[in-house]
Amino acid sequence: MSAPTTATDREADDGPLLDVRGLKTEFRTEGGPIVASNEVSFSLDRGETMGLVGESGAGKSVTARSLMRLIDSPGEITGGQVVFNGEDLLQKTEAEMRDIRGNRIAMIPQDPMSSLNPVMTVGEQITETIRRHQDVSKSEARRLAIESMDDVGIPDAEERIDDYPHEFSGGMRQRVLVAIGFSCEPDLIIADEPTTALDVTTQAKILDLLNEMQEREGTAVLMITHNLGVVAQTCDHVGVMYAGNLVETAELGDLFDRPRHPYTRSLIDSIPEVDTDYDELPTLDGAMPDLGDLPSGCNFAPRCPHATEACRTGGDPSLDAVGDGSSRAACLHADDLDLSESTVPEAGAGRRDIDRTGEPLFEVRNLKKYFNAGEGVFGNVHLSWSGGGLPTVERRHVKAVDDVSFDVYPGETVGLVGESGCGKSTVARTALRLLEPTDGEVYFEGQPLHELGSSEIRSLRREMQMIFQDPQSSLNPRKTVGQIVGRAMEKHGIATGEEKRERVGDLLERVGLSRAAASKYPHEFSGGQQQRVAIAHALAVEPKLIVCDEPVSALDVSVQAQILNLLNEIQDDENISFLFISHNIGVIRHICDRVAVMYLGKIAEFGSIEQVFSPPFHPYTESLLSAVPHANPDRETDRILLEGSVPSPINPPSGCPFQTRCPKKIGDVCEQDLPELEAVDGGDHYISCHLSDEEMSQRESFITPSKRAETSPADSD
Amino acid sequence: MSMYNYVFRRVGFMAVTLFFVTLIAFAVTNILPGDVALLILGPNATDQSLEALQTQLGLNRPLYVQYIDWVVGLLQGNMGESLRFGEPVAQLIAERLPRSMMLAVAATLIAVVLSVPLGVYAAINQNEAPDVSASMFAFVGISMPIFLWGLVFILVFAVWLNLFPTGGYVSPSEDLVGSLTRLVLPAGAMGFALTAYIMRMTRSSMLEVLSEEYINLARAKGMSQRVIVLRHALKNAIIPVITVIAFQFSYAFGGVVVLEEVFFWPGIGRLTLTAIQSRDIPLIQGCILVVALIYMFSNFAADLLYAYFDPRIRYGGDD
Ligand SMILES: Nc1ncnc2c1ncn2[C@@H]1O[C@H](COP(=O)(O)OP(=O)(O)OP(=O)(O)O)[C@@H](O)[C@H]1O
Ligand code: SF4
Ligand code: SF4
Ligand SMILES: [Mg+2]
Repeated sequence: MSAPTTATDREADDGPLLDVRGLKTEFRTEGGPIVASNEVSFSLDRGETMGLVGESGAGKSVTARSLMRLIDSPGEITGGQVVFNGEDLLQKTEAEMRDIRGNRIAMIPQDPMSSLNPVMTVGEQITETIRRHQDVSKSEARRLAIESMDDVGIPDAEERIDDYPHEFSGGMRQRVLVAIGFSCEPDLIIADEPTTALDVTTQAKILDLLNEMQEREGTAVLMITHNLGVVAQTCDHVGVMYAGNLVETAELGDLFDRPRHPYTRSLIDSIPEVDTDYDELPTLDGAMPDLGDLPSGCNFAPRCPHATEACRTGGDPSLDAVGDGSSRAACLHADDLDLSESTVPEAGAGRRDIDRTGEPLFEVRNLKKYFNAGEGVFGNVHLSWSGGGLPTVERRHVKAVDDVSFDVYPGETVGLVGESGCGKSTVARTALRLLEPTDGEVYFEGQPLHELGSSEIRSLRREMQMIFQDPQSSLNPRKTVGQIVGRAMEKHGIATGEEKRERVGDLLERVGLSRAAASKYPHEFSGGQQQRVAIAHALAVEPKLIVCDEPVSALDVSVQAQILNLLNEIQDDENISFLFISHNIGVIRHICDRVAVMYLGKIAEFGSIEQVFSPPFHPYTESLLSAVPHANPDRETDRILLEGSVPSPINPPSGCPFQTRCPKKIGDVCEQDLPELEAVDGGDHYISCHLSDEEMSQRESFITPSKRAETSPADSD
Repeated sequence: MSMYNYVFRRVGFMAVTLFFVTLIAFAVTNILPGDVALLILGPNATDQSLEALQTQLGLNRPLYVQYIDWVVGLLQGNMGESLRFGEPVAQLIAERLPRSMMLAVAATLIAVVLSVPLGVYAAINQNEAPDVSASMFAFVGISMPIFLWGLVFILVFAVWLNLFPTGGYVSPSEDLVGSLTRLVLPAGAMGFALTAYIMRMTRSSMLEVLSEEYINLARAKGMSQRVIVLRHALKNAIIPVITVIAFQFSYAFGGVVVLEEVFFWPGIGRLTLTAIQSRDIPLIQGCILVVALIYMFSNFAADLLYAYFDPRIRYGGDD
């Protein structure tokens, strides 16, 4: 974090680095103009970090791109000033702007996978920026590029500079983007969701890197994110956007302690804390209005608990200073409202107890799934020409799932969590026989799935449904929602005709849609609503088990909690079991009863949420948990940053799969012996590590003890 | 998968394809109507002499023997002897093929030179006047069959404007200028007809690439429009276009067969026609085989180029 700038510092300088005044950006659409950035004003000092938060579509990216004049037709900047280093950028010519972009103002984009040109080496992409803005020779630019790759922590920069983007992992590509951003030592970096596409452990490293680079170079950063945890960790002050307007700006501490705008309060309240138990996850109800069809008064009025008649009839409230602090808010009642208290009910009872005395509903034993490395029939046949002479042929495998065992009891939710590529989805698909397992046993209600023929499997499919990450691709776009849900019922002979229609209507209401939704097509719904349709579709056949593969990852944060609550509610009513796959340990925390932490195709730790989130910890679980950013600026977490990246599953490390990155690695044992997944203190908490219980218990629980004490005696239903 | 593996596998597939091509070439000529011996000897031949000739040509042996014989000959570089010309097929083809190649290559070059810049230009001016007129220009090219374009070109450029000769062929080693002036019209007509596909592919490929995140980033780095289009976008956009170009080259080869008639161009097209008209079985087989080989090799070349331009393929796929 940069050094706090005092008021006198600011005065001493001749004005702020960036002063945005009344910036207005519009898009011409068929339905009339959309104002995506409406009279936005804020300023940013040298070396300072400002966060820009808000729901999807609030206008954060448009505002940021407007600053660099990167708005394309049909968009247009229609008013205001962007004063940067004392000059109004909106008055500059395009050629002058090109000298500023990448040089004085640089951008770090969101998606490391698509933001680098696939046919140019990373070196070319860094040096072209340097050569564009600095008068240096080719070899000098190359030297500078290697230096900047070094600075962002890319190992062996000198060898890797001529590699292509696809030869780097996601985290490394994001480092390359950071290197490009800082390569010309800009005064301002605009980072648009720089870590959203990354796993938590990588996210933590990139945020640290950004902070470090910023401190070293004295760069100002405009950090766009929907993650208040990221804001709390990195920003000095924050702007909150809603429906194209900046509705509040405040110092970081003030924003969390004393928000001035009701929307800010709701936004903060909608974040589930990792260390809190909830009966129901807090949600931000309703949706942001369509920018083409804004209400006449305050845009937030339809969702605001404090709205009065004056709010609905007056114009847009303007962004004015509130009280004597430094905050500004666009709310008529900002001076009268005290929003410092959270409106979320105190911690709830947490999850119910699960009866695990009987038969498990679903059981997986020693499941293995190896894929051929490469495509096609002969894809895994690999010719190696080493050593001269005739080429030798070898077959190689990707060990996506390697000896995984777990069980799921009726009414229980079991989570699979781990970084991308660790084999979570493959476990689910193989267990359901959507993929043919390489080895192992799978039982559903005692029946051996691995021995059944395909017709028997098909009839069992009714009992086991699946919900996917991307609802759009799993719903047939040419069928109405009624047809999609109804067809599932017909196929398994549950209901037909009038009865079917009746049930479809009931189901749609059950998942929070209207009965009328039955006659609409999937594309007429938002992402969250489509996921509700997918849930209705899964429920239509009255399954006993639903496998949810990242069901909320593609959804806006404010919608995620609604879907998770719905799943919880359905489970309570129908006693369905869930196998819940997610890379987001925060989500797992609130929806699962037990969780398996996976690393490189194997289970590292398995136990109840309580057990996994409390010591003893597997070193991998510990680092995963420590990396979750907390939406609380006062909280210092002692994060463990993992070195390197996940090894290739074609060629996994010997011994413990985590040994190449483990901060607690003992030595030779870890490199030679594969640790067993063993019960710690004889209970039902399993860890696969050579360390002793004491050595794995050096950190406190991630579930605050006080809160546990409060909640555990509470009667659970 | 390394580049070696990639080429290794492609060559394997080609060998299999080639086997089927020989089967087809052989089958087609053997179900062609008309008796070869009868054709050679004329309607007044006696049954005896017909039979004698059939035996001499080996036509009354079982089909599979004839096939194996033919393939063994091919492997030894012997394509048989033309019935009509009495010369080795290989020699006839070797003489005509370069002329057709010259025409097809020139046509493809003209098409590429016209269509790629046009496609890029259309894409960066999407839905504006330059885009619409470029698309219309290209559309005209495919609005008529190739041989009609040949006739139109002759009519306009040779007969009315009298700029080029109406047809014929002169070897470039004898008279370079005369050779080139005779090449312009047939290659131009052919190239014009090919322009539309390549241009449309370039345009849509460019449009897709221009909306990619990395183009956004290039702009945010301060790159000029020229650098963005030429360095960042075109290099990506051209990858799928290369396949289309190679495909168009084989298409051009098909068109050449027709155009050679129109322009009196003594290439492999006219040779094939003559061969078919005279039921010259060894020659037909040879021609089919050679044309099929050219198809296969241009597609193979397209794949190699594709791999060369796209590093993700060069090193075996984006995991
Ligand atoms: N090219 C465009 N044409 C029309 N409308 C657009 C265009 N680009 C953005 N908009 C509109 O501008 C509004 C703001 O979009 P913007 O991308 O800035 O949101 P955001 O706050 O960055 O959201 P997210 O968190 O999803 O990135 C949206 O309503 C969007 O539909
Ligand atoms: S102006 Fe009224 S409706 Fe708008 S945020 Fe303030 S209190 Fe709520
Ligand atoms: S076995 Fe060794 S390397 Fe593996 S997690 Fe335990 S301490 Fe780390
Ligand atoms: Mg955005």
